[in-house]
Amino acid sequence: MHISMNELKASLRRCFEASGYFVGNYEDAANMILWLEKHGLNGLGELERALDYIDVDRDKPLSTVVYEDSTSAIIDSNGRSALNCIAASVDLAHAKALEVGIATVTVHNCHNRMFILKALTDCGRRGISVAAYWQNGSDTVTEHTAAIKAGARYPSYSEATTSLKPSDDDRQALTIICSSRVDLTTSLQRSEGNRNARHVSAEQVAQNKEHSVDQGIDIDEALWARINKIGEGVLVENSERSRQGAGGR
Amino acid sequence: MTTPAAIHAALRGDNALPLRPASQVMDLERLGAMHQSRLSFMRTLIRKIMRERWQISPALFELDNDGYGTVVYEIQAPHGLFSFVLFSDYLAPEERNDRVIATKWDLTMALVDGKVDADYVEQLRQNVPKQEAGRVDARVFVLSRANRSARNFDYVVDQLASGKQPDVDRIAQVGYLYRTTAVYGSGKLGMADWEKVQSRWPDFARPFAAEMFVCLMLRNFSLLQAEHIARHRSPDTFVEMEPEIKRYFGIGNSTGLGMAPYLVNHPLLINQWVEMRELALARVRVLGSVDSRVQQQLQALIERSATHTRQIITEDEWQTQNNVQVLKDLDALHQQAGQPLENWDALIQWSEEHCSLQGQELLVSILLELYPELVNDLEDYCSAEEFLDLDPLMTVSTLKAVIENRYDWALNLDFGESGAREIFWYRSEEKMEPRLGNALEEDGKEKQMALGVGYAVRKCYDQLSEYVAEHPDHSTARFMVARPKLRGIVRRIQSMNRCLYGDIQANLLHRDVLPMHLLRAKLAFFGVSKFDPRSKLWVRNTMFQGAPLLEDIGKTFNDDWFMPLAPQSSTKQSAE
Repeated sequence: MHISMNELKASLRRCFEASGYFVGNYEDAANMILWLEKHGLNGLGELERALDYIDVDRDKPLSTVVYEDSTSAIIDSNGRSALNCIAASVDLAHAKALEVGIATVTVHNCHNRMFILKALTDCGRRGISVAAYWQNGSDTVTEHTAAIKAGARYPSYSEATTSLKPSDDDRQALTIICSSRVDLTTSLQRSEGNRNARHVSAEQVAQNKEHSVDQGIDIDEALWARINKIGEGVLVENSERSRQGAGGR
Repeated sequence: MTTPAAIHAALRGDNALPLRPASQVMDLERLGAMHQSRLSFMRTLIRKIMRERWQISPALFELDNDGYGTVVYEIQAPHGLFSFVLFSDYLAPEERNDRVIATKWDLTMALVDGKVDADYVEQLRQNVPKQEAGRVDARVFVLSRANRSARNFDYVVDQLASGKQPDVDRIAQVGYLYRTTAVYGSGKLGMADWEKVQSRWPDFARPFAAEMFVCLMLRNFSLLQAEHIARHRSPDTFVEMEPEIKRYFGIGNSTGLGMAPYLVNHPLLINQWVEMRELALARVRVLGSVDSRVQQQLQALIERSATHTRQIITEDEWQTQNNVQVLKDLDALHQQAGQPLENWDALIQWSEEHCSLQGQELLVSILLELYPELVNDLEDYCSAEEFLDLDPLMTVSTLKAVIENRYDWALNLDFGESGAREIFWYRSEEKMEPRLGNALEEDGKEKQMALGVGYAVRKCYDQLSEYVAEHPDHSTARFMVARPKLRGIVRRIQSMNRCLYGDIQANLLHRDVLPMHLLRAKLAFFGVSKFDPRSKLWVRNTMFQGAPLLEDIGKTFNDDWFMPLAPQSSTKQSAE
């Protein structure tokens, strides 16, 4: 079915609010999904994969800083979804880059890392260049990279299927490089065994956005119903008394 | 013509104009005392339409003798052609309900990009009358509905059918034939997002311009429909309504709590509106020359505002008292403004010492009225990019100082006092209608909307203070990793710190909070008049009363429909 971007955002906000995300995080989560979908990078597909685990994060420990110096940090996200923790990691890289010119933050144990693209875009808009790299998959390993130049509105994104063996050390890790001095661009190397390579340029990302602005978003009805159903958790039961709370006579 | 750089220089830095402070302007009660002004969105829309001579004509007119059917208007604006599609259906009196929870209306309508063919009109007919229960596509960018003011409507039709004009005194009591009960835009129900409206359709690229336009078209249709029914009922005796009386008909509006969360959830946009209004006032203060002609104009506007206020009919005791006070203020202002004046500073200061907030803010609106050349060009600067961005590098010590400086009003509130957190705002299961609950008496507080900005700031400040004691040199980004639950409020504090006016200064959780102030503030920016509260939580008002009619487009236009008067009264006044 057809919905507007604003409808998707509003429903996602309710959905994440009902799932225990706190103020600030539920807006981030909604914006991250919408951003991917709006820019042709399958935000709703990523959401479907995340949705089964949407409320498990409320029982997990918050992210912790494992190591930190002036140019780098290592953060353990404790198995959380990027939807509720990656923005803070990008902000930390951003702050360090502003101080020392270039900084690296490595995040471990973080799911749904594709959602980092919105956080990267926010940095670019605010005059900071960022690049990110991560691998994914327990059987077949895919690799992904995205980058945005300082002052740009759109990032580029590349992905490929590799012939790498899954490594327990790398699982759910993500590397962020952030700079206030250097414009970072990334593309995957033609590594041996890589296949299904795809590179989406910043220009293509911009074009995808224009299409969404004109046409809105197409969404599977079952997924739309599921998002709204979860979002109903923020609604308060109707009663005669509550009707008076709207000022009715 | 002004530029962003000129506006920036007027607001900030060595050459900034003397602006009223945030502590004064953002006080909720003062915001709730604002009136329509030259920068209100209805005024700016009408100026645009009249200056650009939009061509608006019916493309389909299929109404039966009782006024039911379908009407399509085509609007040729400089950058595009649009269609206003309206469905008029029979509604039994017992089904007429102004609340969001209603499911049927007398009129439903849509504003659409481009021409519409029969198939598309049919598609709209299947959906627009259902409103929230229907779906539309991204060609549509406003949906609205309206209910008839039955007594007034029938009376006007009867009068016209029998060859008589409606009695102006009677119209003054209810200055409209229909009330709109919701005007939806910004992507609701599948419509075009604001991003599309703003980037693709420059004719409607100002906040709420398209929504206001639909209300204007509705007002026009209401008059046309009344005449249509009267003409068919009694062709031999029917007379058309006199244009001056027609202009005195506005369109009614019922506004409830739904508008209140909007103001809290769009702080950057609201700040922008306030900045432009305050900049306009500062320009008038410094650059507005005072001579006998302007002083005469001022006196005339004070008199007009007094007459307008006397013509407001409301059963609400609180509003009645407000209006009585405004009349006293206007009387005193009239006398004071009769003294020799060198500049406006003295008069503004005098009003702050002697008038109610409503009187003071009415003087502001009147002063803006006097200097179109200093005010009108700010109408193009009422949009804002709404990014609430975190400043990751700011040290936590600086963040603490920012809160102490910009949110002193929140830190001065005692949230431990009885009633300070008694109210919660929530969305009901019933059409997600926003409602207020009392935490002591009702369930659901755990599902409240995050509108208690003051309380959130207080909690943030307390946790931040502990953190600063341990890590005074840490950045905000580092603080956010440690305290992710504060992300929303920290981002808001930092973003609003970059604005001149910032957040609305009030505890919206207090049991004595008056949501009416929030509604009134937004409606004043829209440009409505004749506030008629029906409870603490919803208010009837009138839009576009006194505005030009569609048939006036292309004729001379003096942009002078501020505080409109009943035609008889203006005649009487000029005779006196």
